[in-house]
Amino acid sequence: MALVSDHILSLVTFLPLAGALVILLCLARRPTAAGWLACGVALADLGLAVLLWLGYDPVPGTDQFVERAAWFLGGRVQYHLACDGISLVLVLLTALLGPLVILSTKSSLSQRVPLFMAMALFLQTAMIGTFLARDMLLFYVFWELMLIPMYFLIGIWGGPRRIYAAVKFFIFTMAGSVFMLVAILYCWFKAGTMDLGAWLALDLTPTEQLWLFAAFALAFAIKVPIWPLHTWLPDAHVEAPTAGSVILAGVLLKMGTYGLLRYAMPLFPAAAVTAAPVLAVLGVIGIVFGALVAWVQTDVKKLVAYSSVSHLGFVVLGLFSLTAQGATGGVFQMLAHGLSTGGLFLLVGILYERRHTRELADFGGLAHGMPAYASVFLITTLASIGLPGLCGFVGEFLILLGTFGSSQLPHAKLLVAVAATGVILGAIYMLWMYQKVFLGPLGSKKNQGLPDLALREWFVLVPLVVFMVWLGVGPNLVLAKVGPSVERVLEPLTAPGLVLPHGDPRPAPLWAVPAVLGGGGEVAP
Amino acid sequence: MITVPPVNWPALLPYLVIGGGGLVVMLVDAFVRTLRKDHLTALTGLVFLGAAIAMIAVKPEPGPQLGGMLTVQMYTRFFDFLLLGIGLVTTVYGSAVYSQDGDYRPEFYPLVLFAVLGMMVLVAASDLLILFLGIETMSLAVYALVCGRRGELRSSEAALKYLLLGSFASAFLLMGAALLYGCAGGTSYAALAAVGGTGEGGPLFAVGLGLVLVGFAFKVAMVPFHMWTPDVYDGAPAHVTGFMATAVKAAAFGALIRFVTIALPGLAAHWSGLLTVLTVLTMTAGNLLALVQASIKRMLAYSSIAHAGYLLLGVLAILAPAGGDPGRPLRESAVVQAAGSGLLFYLLGYCLMNLAAFGVISQLGRSGGVEADQVDHYRGLSGRQPVAAAVLAVAMFSLAGIPGTVGFLGKFYLFEAAIRAQLVPLAIWGVVNSLLSVYYYLRVVVVMYMSDDQTEPFDGRNWETILLAGCLAALVVLLGVFPAAVHGLTSLAFGTMLG
Repeated sequence: MALVSDHILSLVTFLPLAGALVILLCLARRPTAAGWLACGVALADLGLAVLLWLGYDPVPGTDQFVERAAWFLGGRVQYHLACDGISLVLVLLTALLGPLVILSTKSSLSQRVPLFMAMALFLQTAMIGTFLARDMLLFYVFWELMLIPMYFLIGIWGGPRRIYAAVKFFIFTMAGSVFMLVAILYCWFKAGTMDLGAWLALDLTPTEQLWLFAAFALAFAIKVPIWPLHTWLPDAHVEAPTAGSVILAGVLLKMGTYGLLRYAMPLFPAAAVTAAPVLAVLGVIGIVFGALVAWVQTDVKKLVAYSSVSHLGFVVLGLFSLTAQGATGGVFQMLAHGLSTGGLFLLVGILYERRHTRELADFGGLAHGMPAYASVFLITTLASIGLPGLCGFVGEFLILLGTFGSSQLPHAKLLVAVAATGVILGAIYMLWMYQKVFLGPLGSKKNQGLPDLALREWFVLVPLVVFMVWLGVGPNLVLAKVGPSVERVLEPLTAPGLVLPHGDPRPAPLWAVPAVLGGGGEVAP
Repeated sequence: MITVPPVNWPALLPYLVIGGGGLVVMLVDAFVRTLRKDHLTALTGLVFLGAAIAMIAVKPEPGPQLGGMLTVQMYTRFFDFLLLGIGLVTTVYGSAVYSQDGDYRPEFYPLVLFAVLGMMVLVAASDLLILFLGIETMSLAVYALVCGRRGELRSSEAALKYLLLGSFASAFLLMGAALLYGCAGGTSYAALAAVGGTGEGGPLFAVGLGLVLVGFAFKVAMVPFHMWTPDVYDGAPAHVTGFMATAVKAAAFGALIRFVTIALPGLAAHWSGLLTVLTVLTMTAGNLLALVQASIKRMLAYSSIAHAGYLLLGVLAILAPAGGDPGRPLRESAVVQAAGSGLLFYLLGYCLMNLAAFGVISQLGRSGGVEADQVDHYRGLSGRQPVAAAVLAVAMFSLAGIPGTVGFLGKFYLFEAAIRAQLVPLAIWGVVNSLLSVYYYLRVVVVMYMSDDQTEPFDGRNWETILLAGCLAALVVLLGVFPAAVHGLTSLAFGTMLG
């Protein structure tokens, strides 16, 4: 057992990769066996993630289960994994979606199943590794490795324009990361090590910070995606197979917001404070823009894709409210969005398997024939909208609350007001979509006699629904684990005496300023 | 009266084994009537192994040989092993291709051996005359190798083109050497360093240097001396192209690195301005032109030009600190050490990934010598030959510099050294360039995995080639994950050269 407890992070990271290799080497011609093995491996990985959850001590919010070993360049580049509250919930989300995704593809996938399973597992390793890495080069390696399996998932098993979508996805993300790599090299040159802890202690001038922050933020903003860098997302989502969309929306998009919170903000605090208004505004634009564009979509999958732009706008706003409350809400929203949007893509996939269309106009009255499906869809829709009692509400509420009380963000209240319209718009387009698909009379003959949820589909959807309700009713379960870590991560930004690029040392701890001032930019000394 | 310097036979043993082996292989082919072609492959392989064993078993005192004409040290041994490995792989690829074609080319085997001999001498040269001798031995063998398909017009045209332009380059090199001799009073690197260090060389010395640089630039395919590369790479049989892209480039860079660090440490200022321009041009032009190629061999030709650009960045990083402080010996600079070991690591990785790629390309052809040389010929390959497709995909990802492969770490070491040498804009340009390159490498993966089968697919198979290429691809990944041991080795090797 000591082996498991000492190396649990390595195990949870590399178990899927081992499964992928076994599939490629031994089961390349046996699709059924490959599917079951992949499922088993993903479940075992989920088990490890649960162990991690149980063993994590939330109170200090520090990095735990640390694993460190020299990698190369005389130990200046390390193999360094660690887990704090933020990483914990995201790893758990990844590990939860893994088996569901694999289970969900069993019927829809006909060709090259073993390769698909191997890619899904490989992707899981890369994603979990990205969340756990505490060495910048290790992080970058995992970060880039995510591209390869996702590129294959879209490009091989995707829709008619899959190649265009896959290449666009690859190039967009790569373009961002390349500048991050230059920034990483620069910091490496300054620090002489790739260790995140040492980087946090780096003394960078405000100008340096601005450039480095810009390079990091660009890479992450493309991944989120923050408006106006979102154009790859609808293409990728629409062309990706269901499994690809679920992973993309469920986990991959969180890489961007996770990276902002973990790296871009604490490493370059002065620049983050300076840039916060800009990014918060971009977040709000994303919220409203995503919602408006989602509203006019005629393709269900595209609608859900644009709703992601809107939901992640909330996360960005929460992070750049520069309050612990807003950022904690942001992390919660990442989790909630992973569950609800992941669920929506799964549901859309189920419908597409039955009808081979996703056009809103082709549907209507499905609730008559598929009551169970319609109910699950309704719960997921409501969770996505943010109905109180379901997971989506908590995150959005905390974000808005945190932003409202933010003393550093100019015009915070205005931003909250505009962002709140996003909540209303969200309700409009989602319910409108629900109405078109499920309510009214059964329109076309083709919609009659569609089978309701099968047993396997129940297995996939029930865990998601359970968590959507559970997190909505008892959010403290997650908030207690995330909160302390978020505060720790944001410490550099709230430190008194932070020198901003325009030169003024910050006068007093920010929370001392009455929130009523709100205007933020000009705080009284 | 010419005095014959003492000959240290153990130090020269590997060269003698390879050269003698080449002669033996040639004679065996000519006189033994009952020979099967497998025998020649085996014999050639044995010669390579024999040379490797000679290097492992006999350990001479490192240092100058033959009165300072050659230097044998760990640095040259590193390249010797690399070149022997490439030679061996090329032999296996080549014999597979010839058995597939039903065509028997016995001259291939001794030519590879002679080419490798020339390359080993080239890297070890400590004197302009030996440098020239090495280059010519290598080049003459390679000219003939390019013409491997005598019946085919393209192959002959490529050989002729390479021969003509190569002769020009050799003439430049020779002219430069003559001028340097005139200024320095000797042709050894040490004599050049003595004159260069004082700065008394004068304009003739600078012109001489420039002409020698042209000779090197031609061999490593620097822009604007790259014009021959696509045509020759395209016209030569794929396994020969692989040999040229890896061995010729590695040997030329090995010699270039030695030349600039040993002979010209004090003259960095003269070189680096010109070299900076060439570096930027080489990277950019290579990548831009690779973007629009429909032929995979031409694409890899331009890609090899781009990679020469990245390598030149490392050479610049070696020169940069010396430029700042001419009096300071290079070996004391950590940046030089980092750049040098990065260069060797990159060269090793570059050879591994290119050889893996060319292995797949060479085995896929149809009988009768029709090669799968267009990117489109690889449509749907992953369905028909999953292993071959996976190997080629790994090679492409590595060439593009995706993490987890040796291509990424090689670039990491190089760009890191460049940034430490204060070449930040160049490093950024290099990074941008590698982004550009992702697109064309990815295209090969796209057609293999995401396009449907073509109507009349290329389907050559050869398990030896695939096994070998698979091992190389595995090494690409392995070194991409665990670089420490090998990087330590390259670091040590480069250190021995600095003295």
